[in-house]
Amino acid sequence: MEAAGLSTTTLSMIPALTQSVRVPRLAGIGYPLGRPFGQPHDRGGQLQVLRAALATLESIGEPGERVDLPFEWPERRSDVRIHPEAPSPIARLLRRKPWLLSRLISRDVPG
Amino acid sequence: MEKTVDSYRYVDFFTRRVLKAWAAREPRREIPWTPLEKPLEECTVALVTTAGIALATDRPFDQEGERRNPWWGDPSFRVLPRTATEKDVRICHLHTDSSYAEEDLNCLFPLGRLLELERNGEIGRSAERHYSYMGYILEPSVLLAESTPEMIRRLKEDAVDAVLLVPF
Repeated sequence: MEAAGLSTTTLSMIPALTQSVRVPRLAGIGYPLGRPFGQPHDRGGQLQVLRAALATLESIGEPGERVDLPFEWPERRSDVRIHPEAPSPIARLLRRKPWLLSRLISRDVPG
Repeated sequence: MEKTVDSYRYVDFFTRRVLKAWAAREPRREIPWTPLEKPLEECTVALVTTAGIALATDRPFDQEGERRNPWWGDPSFRVLPRTATEKDVRICHLHTDSSYAEEDLNCLFPLGRLLELERNGEIGRSAERHYSYMGYILEPSVLLAESTPEMIRRLKEDAVDAVLLVPF
């Protein structure tokens, strides 16, 4: 998109991974996967995060720069739920055949 | 700038291992760069998510395909109109809990909040069309060759100036 002439920024909860793919602008946020803008119905909190993420379109001046946003997640780490009830198909497969983990890591996709 | 976010704080041991390994293996590449040409208050802004969100009237993302082949993920995108709410969509993602977004789409894909920013004059406009992918794609060739160019074509058609990407 950036190469096509659009200005882009990314809000990421895993900024170390996002940084590795060299996005033009990156805003890191310490929120759990599934809720990048905050808790459901927290209108004020969501607007703050959205404003801060959009602001990086103007404030980031160096390609590839990462800015971490100052928002803290209110729940205790042990109370945070990010995965669905049912394990994903790849998680189930790896439980049955754990030796395939190295293929997942190298993205050596079969077929 | 201080890095305060622990990228792996909430993920389990195996997920962390995989994500760290992926980060380490990414090749260096040139970073494209398009400076914003006008103030944000004049820009048309679009959101792109990888949460597998589709209008309830649209074809859902293919979860059966992923169940049959756990190495595969649906590389297509769906279009969401600027007025969509949690009542209008279905979320199809087998890896992350979508129940929060089903309660309030704004915690994940804040179309409603973007409209508020438009009404306040903080952005020029929320784009007519916004986009969702489903983020579990190990092999990105179809994504890069087909889905992405088509999305870019539509973003330009809608005169979008800036895009906020929000991986799920």
